[in-house]
Amino acid sequence: MEKPKIPVDLILTKLAEDAEKAQARVQKASDVLLQELDTEIAQTPYEIVYEEDHVKLKHYQPTKPVTLKRPLLVVYALINRETMLDLQPGRSVVNIFQDHGVDLYMVDWGYPARKDKYLTIDDHVNGYMDNIVEFIRTKHQVDKINLMGICMGGTFSVIYAALHPEKIKNLVTTVTPTNFDTDQGLLHIWMKELNADRMVETFGNMPGDFMNFGFLLLNPARLMIDKYVGFMENMDNKAFVENFIRMEKWIFDSPDVPGETFRQFVKDCYQKNLLIQSKMEVGGRRVDLKNITMPMLNFYGKYDHLVPPEACEMLTRKAGSRDAQDVCLDTGHIGIYVSSKCQREFAPKIAAWLKKRDRDDKKRRPKKSAAGKVKSGKAAAKNKPTARQRQSA
Amino acid sequence: MSNQESGQTADTLLAAWIKSAADFWGSTLQSWSKYDTTGDGSSTGEKSRTRESFETVFNSWQTLSSVAGDPGAMGAFSNLGRAMPEVLSQMVQASWKSYFYLQQQWLEKGSRIGQSSHAFNFDNLDKETFKAWTEIYEKEFQQFFHIPQLGLTRFYQEKFNASLDKHNRFQSQFAEFMHLIFLPIEKTFKVLQQQLSDLAGEGKLPENSNDYYKLFIKILEGHYMSLFKSPEYVSTMAATLGALEDLMTARNAITQDLLKTMAVPTQDELDELYKELYQLKKRIKILEKEKSAH
Repeated sequence: MEKPKIPVDLILTKLAEDAEKAQARVQKASDVLLQELDTEIAQTPYEIVYEEDHVKLKHYQPTKPVTLKRPLLVVYALINRETMLDLQPGRSVVNIFQDHGVDLYMVDWGYPARKDKYLTIDDHVNGYMDNIVEFIRTKHQVDKINLMGICMGGTFSVIYAALHPEKIKNLVTTVTPTNFDTDQGLLHIWMKELNADRMVETFGNMPGDFMNFGFLLLNPARLMIDKYVGFMENMDNKAFVENFIRMEKWIFDSPDVPGETFRQFVKDCYQKNLLIQSKMEVGGRRVDLKNITMPMLNFYGKYDHLVPPEACEMLTRKAGSRDAQDVCLDTGHIGIYVSSKCQREFAPKIAAWLKKRDRDDKKRRPKKSAAGKVKSGKAAAKNKPTARQRQSA
Repeated sequence: MSNQESGQTADTLLAAWIKSAADFWGSTLQSWSKYDTTGDGSSTGEKSRTRESFETVFNSWQTLSSVAGDPGAMGAFSNLGRAMPEVLSQMVQASWKSYFYLQQQWLEKGSRIGQSSHAFNFDNLDKETFKAWTEIYEKEFQQFFHIPQLGLTRFYQEKFNASLDKHNRFQSQFAEFMHLIFLPIEKTFKVLQQQLSDLAGEGKLPENSNDYYKLFIKILEGHYMSLFKSPEYVSTMAATLGALEDLMTARNAITQDLLKTMAVPTQDELDELYKELYQLKKRIKILEKEKSAH
């Protein structure tokens, strides 16, 4: 007998089996969902050491002896919250840094209110960030600190490093958009058509929920359908449910973005692409990327649909740093931080990179004799990293 | 003859009724005057205001009563009564004429709507429908919401009409946007159907229902990516945002007027205050920095 082209009997049998499995899953899922779940995030203890308006500075004490002379300040984006860096034990960038002896500070931008609608990029960079950097410098009695920026926080960090290079020892940027003249990401296409002035006049601050909706629209098939189908397939697994809920808590915890900051970011960056051209002005001062002369480490994700590689990779070429390194990871925008595999790769790499440059600074201290100066100059030229490296992890 | 007799009888009865009513209220007023000697208690001995009003009305009634006694005047009233139906029918006729005129105008508008819709290509009916409706609305209906208002409350009326206009614009724009959003889902089902029939023809139809779902999601994702990059989607998204912003602005204007009547600070007033606070704080921070630098 010829085998039928459409195995209806097999399909129906499979359907029946799947229905039985689904029924068992639902029964177990109800037990899982009704019991106490551990879904808290950002549980690593910290101390609020500085506050200014809604902005707070968190200090995480290292769990191992401090190995860096200079503390590391992490600046997160204004969109979503920095709690992503400390999702849970075992998936925490904060813990990894602590375990590598890094004295870690993190900016908590808080939840802007209507009265914050007039805060500009200048207020964030030359106001809050500069005050925080001064606080850390004074507290630790150091001339410079290490600065790490994430996404829009990385953009702010780049601006800060260009305007205050004398205060930054090393700069790390992760998934940081600096070149906005690309059609590779949907955000870059959509933002060009946005009337930022009208939006700010209408909304004041850019509502967090509004931006969340926009991010969901970037890939509705995966983010609004497939994600929840995956949840339903695994909702009998307690660990999966807890992780899922933690991510949901973080992803929909979106503060509003101050109106004037949003306006300038969209107009000067997304629409005019002034930053990468060193033409952007912040607080009346031109942001010249050539002023970024300190060592730079630039991470980005190969499959990042929000900040594609084309938006990140030009920075090291435009900056004035002669010790600049690009690292492209096989991951997306937030996978770099929430994937435990990526965390194990990139966070220790950052710590090691900072340690090397922390020590190098002591070695390269110039001697006072004229002969010594010439000698050290030649020696410095010999030891200087030659070409910018690009590697895939 | 009988009509004349009946008319005369009616006139007589009317005159008699007016006269008897006048006599009754006149005697009532006299008795009130007898017991109300104190007036309103003022030193000038003025009468109470109620009594004064009553006297004014009574004097008018007395005048009418004396007129009623005049056969010629009553005859004039009767003629007026007989002429009333004719006057009323003239008024009704005028109203109908005005209504028919308006109806004619509406029919002409309707025929213009039909003319404007013919200009569109019906090959892409869905897309053209939104365009046609927007054009029709802008040409034929929007003008009603911009008719200048009159009177003390004209500004509020105009704001209300403007918000209705913006609401209609937003509704049509949003409908177009949602139509675009659902387009990939429709296309995905068509493509999936085609792919499944191809697979069925080759005998490679998946047995697992999960495989069907994965195929569906993959196709859907691809369609959304194509849609979101298209200039049509970007322009529709921008237009929908613009319409939403217009609606919110118009709605906020009405809300602010309402808040003002309740002595509640409005958003604009608070924004002005926030701006002043922001500038003050900034100035203080600069001064603090300058002071610490010295």
